[in-house]
Amino acid sequence: MMFCEKAVELVRELQRLSDGQLPAFNEDGLRQVLQEMESLYDQNQADVNEAKAGRTDFIPSIKLRHSCLLRNQRCVTAYLYDRLLRIRALRWEYGSVLPANVRFHMCAEEVEWFSQYKKSLASFMRSIGGGEGLDITQDMKPPKSLYIQVRCIKDHGEFEIDDGTVILLKKNSQHFLPRWKCEHLIRQGVLEHVLS
Amino acid sequence: MFITDIKKDFYEVVANQRVALLVAGDIDALCACKILQALFHCDHIQYTLVPVTGWQELGTAFLEHKEQFRYFVLINCGANVDLLEMLQPDDDSIFFICDTHRPVDVVNVYNDTQIKLLIKQDDDLAVPSYDEIFRDEDEENEDDSGNESDEGSEPSGKRRRFDEGAVERRIERQRARREWEARRKEILFDYEQYEYHGTSAAMMVFELAWVLTKDTKDMLWWAIVGLTDQWVHDKITHMKYVTDVATMQRHVSRHSHRNEDEENSLSIDCMRISFEYDLRLTLYQHWSLYESICNSCYTCCHFKLWTLNGQKKLQEYLADMGLPLKQVKQKFNSMDMSIKENLREVIEESSNKYGIKDIRIQTFGAQFGFKNRFLASDMVHAAAALLESTEKDESDTDNFIKALDSLSRSNLNRLLSGIDLAKKKLIAIQQTVASCICTNLILSQGPFLYCYLMEGTPDVKLFSKPMALSLLCKYLLKAFVHSTRNKRCKLLPLVMAAPKDVEKGTIIVVGIPPESETSDKKNFFGRAFEKAAESTGSRTLHDHFDTSVIELKTEDRIKFLDALITLLS
Repeated sequence: MMFCEKAVELVRELQRLSDGQLPAFNEDGLRQVLQEMESLYDQNQADVNEAKAGRTDFIPSIKLRHSCLLRNQRCVTAYLYDRLLRIRALRWEYGSVLPANVRFHMCAEEVEWFSQYKKSLASFMRSIGGGEGLDITQDMKPPKSLYIQVRCIKDHGEFEIDDGTVILLKKNSQHFLPRWKCEHLIRQGVLEHVLS
Repeated sequence: MFITDIKKDFYEVVANQRVALLVAGDIDALCACKILQALFHCDHIQYTLVPVTGWQELGTAFLEHKEQFRYFVLINCGANVDLLEMLQPDDDSIFFICDTHRPVDVVNVYNDTQIKLLIKQDDDLAVPSYDEIFRDEDEENEDDSGNESDEGSEPSGKRRRFDEGAVERRIERQRARREWEARRKEILFDYEQYEYHGTSAAMMVFELAWVLTKDTKDMLWWAIVGLTDQWVHDKITHMKYVTDVATMQRHVSRHSHRNEDEENSLSIDCMRISFEYDLRLTLYQHWSLYESICNSCYTCCHFKLWTLNGQKKLQEYLADMGLPLKQVKQKFNSMDMSIKENLREVIEESSNKYGIKDIRIQTFGAQFGFKNRFLASDMVHAAAALLESTEKDESDTDNFIKALDSLSRSNLNRLLSGIDLAKKKLIAIQQTVASCICTNLILSQGPFLYCYLMEGTPDVKLFSKPMALSLLCKYLLKAFVHSTRNKRCKLLPLVMAAPKDVEKGTIIVVGIPPESETSDKKNFFGRAFEKAAESTGSRTLHDHFDTSVIELKTEDRIKFLDALITLLS
């Protein structure tokens, strides 16, 4: 029987979903690998004691089992780490609240890790931008300008922006507003981005 | 109050605030608006831009936005009326006014808290001093009552004598007050009698950009176009125009020193602005030379091209310069290079021979790319034609946006369509002028000349707009002065009326000062129209920012005119 097969299967499972999807946490597979590692370790312990007593012909098998252990360890850490990287990417894709089906695929520790990462990112974002904070998850590339010039194509009435101030969107009036506030109105066709 | 440090008292005040920009409907205002927008973009100052075409729209825009904005910037509107009285703002609204209309209302000058004027204090203003107009009334009454109570405690024997003294003093004080009030009325009347224009708003805002060292060539070009608009629409005197051109010339040479360097010169696509001593032929580089000569006010009036003699003289003139008709009638860009090379000098020489002095005028031209060359006056005419275009289904604000867009370099299509519209407008103006002169439609009413465009006149729709009608007025007066032999009529101002809104039954009336070489462009028709309307009870609408343009009900035309004649005789 081949050692480390289960571990390699864990890795292969992630490799199959190379587009960044998060499969369900393979708790069974992980447990099996850990069990294998435990049994290998116990066998090695026994053999090491023998080898210390003088039976040097056990040394190759000790070496073999040791390298299997290392291999298993490497595969398992790769598995866990790759999953964490995928979970981190989810924060940038979905925002701070994950959809239920994705959360279902995460184990408890991974959920814990995710909330810690969220906190870290939030405190970082709060610290930049001159004390006001800057939401860097808005644009993947640095935007050309934080504010854009928009023209109102049809009457939309009053429109509230972040700090509570209200803007009256009347036809043919032009405004200079923060980019993220205008995006969905531009998509709706109420505002038109003006390039001068 | 007048702002002295435009950077500290205006720009740094609005730096972290949101601003409402209320912009009037003339090209100078549009240029100033463009420069200010560019500065705001640079510094991320949030703003909202609202075009306003008259006092009513200004009032509406203010009401709509007063909850959301504390700072209002008014461009080319608001200086010549008591703004606080008209808008009734809250105490924390602050108005920054950059306006060329003069005289500036005295309340705006002396208000220290809410009105800040972005105008230079020495800009031809002659504001009466504070003491001549305002007076603390309370002091007066206190003095009187104080004296009376003192006298009450005196013994009765002396009281009668003291009473007489007190009564005499009171009578003296009242007389002094009446005198002061009469003098005040006179001073205010003199101050507010004539309407005229000061330094271009675009130039003021460009100066702000320069002080902030954020000025670019685009902003410089807009400032130049703003100044040229004042000259094209005859708002400033020739002296002032020349002085302001000299100021702009300094900025132009500062921006263009890189062009001289052979090794590191700019790419051909960059904007280059140059000082030109160019011909006074409107749009000649985008038209044929012949058409331009026929439709430019200056040449048309001097040759009297509405007469047969005039046409013949024009042919002579062209022949004298050695320009073949075939060349001259085709598009300017397709003319032979050999003709185009010395064209300006040749035309100047010939014009002097024919008695047409000053065919050349100091102005500026811009070039970006190989094909795109524009003179400042070309842009003014194009933008003005777009701003007042009378296409159906286009509201005033649509036109405003189109005209604003045409001033940007990236919207060449807009600009070229504007030039086409401008050509049509100029042809219409010349044809109307020709027909008015030939059919003697201009009548002398005594103190002024009068012309009424009937409803069926071709292209009369174009003249329902104030700028177009004023331009027509100016050209008509010039043509009239050249064609009439009556010496007295040459010195008269002109009042013109044209149908404005057929459904509502109103006409638009415009008055311009007399035509002369040394005219100071001061227009008294604003006050005259007001008084005439009051005395006859005519239904008028004084909505336009220039007080010399009003809207009047067609039925009241005759009595309004009669009142005006009586008033001015």
